[in-house]
Amino acid sequence: MSEGCAAGVLVAGIGNPDRGDDGFGPAVARRLRERLPSGICVVERAGDILALIGDWEGFAHVVMVDAVKAMGEPGRIHRFDLRKCGLPIGFAYRSTHGFGVAEAVELARSLGRLPRHLVLYLVEGACFEIGVPLSPAVAHAVGEAAARIVEELASRSAAETEEGERA
Amino acid sequence: MATRTIRVDYIARVEGESALDLHIRDGKVDAAHLAIFEPPRFFEALLRGRGFREVLDIVARICGICPIAYQMSGVHAIEQVLGVAVEPPIRALRRLLYCGEWIESHALHIVMLHAPDFLGYPDAITMAREHGAAVERGLALKKAGNALLRLLGGREIHPVNVRVGGFYRAPARAELAALVDTLKAAQDQAIATLRWAAGFEFPECRRDYEFVALRHAQDYPMNEGRIVSTAGLDIAAADYETEFLERQVPHSTALHSALKRRGAYLVGPLARYALNRDRLPAEVQALADEVGLEPVCCNPYRSILVRAVEVVYACGEALRLIVDYEPPSRPFVPVAPRAGTGHACSEAPRGILYHRYRLDAEGTILDARLVPPTAQNQGVIEADLRQTAAARLDLDEDELKAACEQSIRNHDPCISCAAHFLTLRVHRG
Repeated sequence: MSEGCAAGVLVAGIGNPDRGDDGFGPAVARRLRERLPSGICVVERAGDILALIGDWEGFAHVVMVDAVKAMGEPGRIHRFDLRKCGLPIGFAYRSTHGFGVAEAVELARSLGRLPRHLVLYLVEGACFEIGVPLSPAVAHAVGEAAARIVEELASRSAAETEEGERA
Repeated sequence: MATRTIRVDYIARVEGESALDLHIRDGKVDAAHLAIFEPPRFFEALLRGRGFREVLDIVARICGICPIAYQMSGVHAIEQVLGVAVEPPIRALRRLLYCGEWIESHALHIVMLHAPDFLGYPDAITMAREHGAAVERGLALKKAGNALLRLLGGREIHPVNVRVGGFYRAPARAELAALVDTLKAAQDQAIATLRWAAGFEFPECRRDYEFVALRHAQDYPMNEGRIVSTAGLDIAAADYETEFLERQVPHSTALHSALKRRGAYLVGPLARYALNRDRLPAEVQALADEVGLEPVCCNPYRSILVRAVEVVYACGEALRLIVDYEPPSRPFVPVAPRAGTGHACSEAPRGILYHRYRLDAEGTILDARLVPPTAQNQGVIEADLRQTAAARLDLDEDELKAACEQSIRNHDPCISCAAHFLTLRVHRG
């Protein structure tokens, strides 16, 4: 965990900003940098997905944001609590170089290296062409995903404060 | 005449997308085709008309696993045209960068892609439940390799710091020194990985390959050397196209390479080691002896041991280069365009990577030729498949498919480089 990330919370926006809707994760990460309190670490990841496991080290709460292939409703956001379950078949996908987010999560589960809380927000994409911007429905979902993550992290923070006060 | 068809639609744990067709007629293997159907990406055409300064950033995009290889073959070929000679520290930094790529690429293949074959797991995720320490070592090695790429290349995927004449920025001694502890730990992890892999059971197999690799006057080859083979070939990179040809085959979008006079040949770790074992430091040779690795290994299943030896070597070499490093007087030498043709070969993790560029007087690329290792190995991969299948025709379909997939993975093919997901179709008759 790097300095300046004292809250123990990491948000990782995953995807390639130059591949259309694959840029959703980084777009949400950028939006969250403006809205989340300092102390919450926000990163963008486009390359080596296996390195995610290293990124999680020292963080108790990790939120990942990514895009998934078109599944009927571009812009629809799905939330998964990956401590409770793996990514359902249909959402599991892989990069051409072998390891995607699902594999990184399951590898970390096998190694006993999952963070205490691990949540994944996935948006259904429409277009993953090289050099095109986010499609309108997915661009619209950036704000919604950012708002849901801000709310989730705020309620987590409130719950932990309450827990601390009870203790 | 009876025909039997077996089909595997997807072969996992290879880099990229392709299919395998196995034709079995009257109890004999009729044909084995590695069918690469990934659309060609036309990089050679895309380079035409570009300035020579753009080449290294373009070719780095060809592969996410071995971008350094593309940058190194490219930079040497272009510097040859321009008559550029770099300072020894630049040469050392390029070798150090290559060490990083060998470490991350080999560690990924050894632990995540290849080891599950020997231990009977469908994938590294399942294997990690019982071999967690080995997988952790693999991840740590990959991370160490990536750290070198990040420092010297600017980032680990598609690095941006290499330029014609040197680097955009050369690191300070202290920046490299900060990696020493990581690399020392990586060296121990690499030795443990080699000893772990040496405990696997390897199928009996001896193949009569012609090995082709670079050979350098002093060093285990990475960036420089003549192209040599176990059949006596000994040429400069400029003569590559005199001895080797590329041809189209109907079943693959990747060109097949062959020696004009002798046909299929093998590049990569087995070849490099067979032709250059004497260039490894004594302590690395001793480790190879300790695990029972023969000086010339003709069993493709044991290539995992050679990769592991090369990771040990690359960690030690990286440490040596860091200790000896004196920053260059300037990060790059000035370069001026001129017309001509340049050729270079460097040792990508998977074997020799040949580049040729022709430039006009303004430095514009008139044409380019890139021959990646996997394209060169397709003939051998298919020959291995024929032999693997022929010896296992009594196996049921799933077992035969698994054996064929393992045979392909022995050579760590990078399909994305060669042209990408493997499908296996077996036609029995």
